[in-house]
Order: sequence, then C-alpha cells, then structure tokens
Amino acid sequence: MTEIPEFWRTEVYHPLSVHFPIVLLLMATLFKLIGLWSSRITWEQGGRFLLILGVIGVWIAVYTGDMADGIVSRELCDPTVLKDHENFAIITAWIFTAALGLELLTGYIDLFKTKTLSVILVLILFAGSGTLTYVGHLGAQLVYQQAAGVYVPSEDCAEFN
Amino acid sequence: MRSVILKGLMYSTILLFFACGESTDVVESGTYQGTIKEVEAEKTEIYVTTDDNKTLELYFTETTSLTRNGSEVDFSALEEGQKVEVEVEKVGQRLDPISVKIME
Repeated sequence: MTEIPEFWRTEVYHPLSVHFPIVLLLMATLFKLIGLWSSRITWEQGGRFLLILGVIGVWIAVYTGDMADGIVSRELCDPTVLKDHENFAIITAWIFTAALGLELLTGYIDLFKTKTLSVILVLILFAGSGTLTYVGHLGAQLVYQQAAGVYVPSEDCAEFN
Repeated sequence: MRSVILKGLMYSTILLFFACGESTDVVESGTYQGTIKEVEAEKTEIYVTTDDNKTLELYFTETTSLTRNGSEVDFSALEEGQKVEVEVEKVGQRLDPISVKIME
C-alpha cells in the first residue's frame, strides 16, 4: 500500500516561504504610493521596513525555489512553465533589490531626497509588483495544472485509513 | 555625483534584467549532438547546446545511462565544454534523457 509522504519534504519549503515576500512587497508598494501624497512619516518608514523584509524574503524564496526545482522538474509535464517561473522570479528579486537600493539612497542621503526620485521609486515598485504577480500566476499554474510538489492520494484513499 | 550613482544603479538594473534567466528549448524525441553548457551536480542536471544552437535542459533519471568509450561513468565525469551525444524522449513538454555519451 502507498504511504503518505512526510510533510517536511524539501519541495515544501518553497510554498512555505514564498507567500511572506508576496505580501510584504505588495504592501511596501502600497505604503510607498500612499507616502507620495501623505505627509505622515508612517507610510514612508513603514514602506521602507516592509521593503527590507520583502527583499530578504524574496531571496529566501528564490533559494527555496531552486531547492524545489531539482525535485519537481522530473515530474512535470511542462517544465518550461517552471523555467519561466524561475526566470521571472529572479528578475522580480532584482527589481525589488534595486528599488531597495534607491529607497535607502532617498531615505538616508540628503542629496537624493527629491520628489522625482520618490516617484521613480514607486514606478519601479509597481513594475516589480507586476512581475511578482506574473510569477505568482506561473507558480499557481505549476501547482494547479501540473501538481508540482503535490502528493496525489490514491483513488480509494487507502493510505489514510 | 548624484547622477553618476543613479545612472550606475539604472544601468546595473537593466544589465541584471537581461543577464538573469536562461531560456531552454523543447525538441522532439531523438538523438542530438552538442556541447555541455552547464552542469548542476546537486540536481544531476545538465544544459546542452545542440549543434543547431538549441539549449536542452536535461534532468537525469534513474534509468539514464551515462557512458564514455562504451563504459558507464559517474555523473561527476561531466564537465562544461564537453562534446556529448544525447538521446532524449519527449514526454509532454519534458525531455527525459535516455542516454548521454561523452564524445571526448
């Protein structure tokens, strides 16, 4: 009889880690957008804090994704989707990393504290949010169309008895 | 000073944008000759650039045979730049390597 695989498999660390940066980076974008109009420092500093955590999180997600890649690729019917997912994830990570670099310049060095750079920063964050959404869409395709990393129970569910 | 740093940041981002990512190709089942572009030992995976300039991403399976001069060799024998002949089976859009022969 088939046995239920243990939960803490290598490929499971990616879905466990990937949702934090998604929320953090989208919220950072929202905070920085509101910060353009609002004079309250909460949005500016909150956005910066979220962006720092999000960039750390996105690189952890890239790392765990790379770990999962070696396992699930052999079982997928269309690994090209995984390749696109991986490529766009790396592009997304670099976009937000560049945004964080600009954020730190505009936040801490007087020479760079201009409205124009703040607008450019928000535009970069929106570009990153766009690619982030696409990466998420590809990830969902992998799970819901190809069962990437998913254990499919037997028809009679015997292993759960 | 400010414009130099900003330009540096912008050009670095653009460069990274185009540098990262690697496109691969899907081909029909068959035998192809090419050169190993990259070896990922941890994943027992290789990228092969075929003679018609397509990039094949091949994850070794339990049944993949790897030979040199007719003898079975270990995965660690593979190196970037080696000429290889690969026989692949297309399953869906996935390429399963049936055999990999090191030509040199």
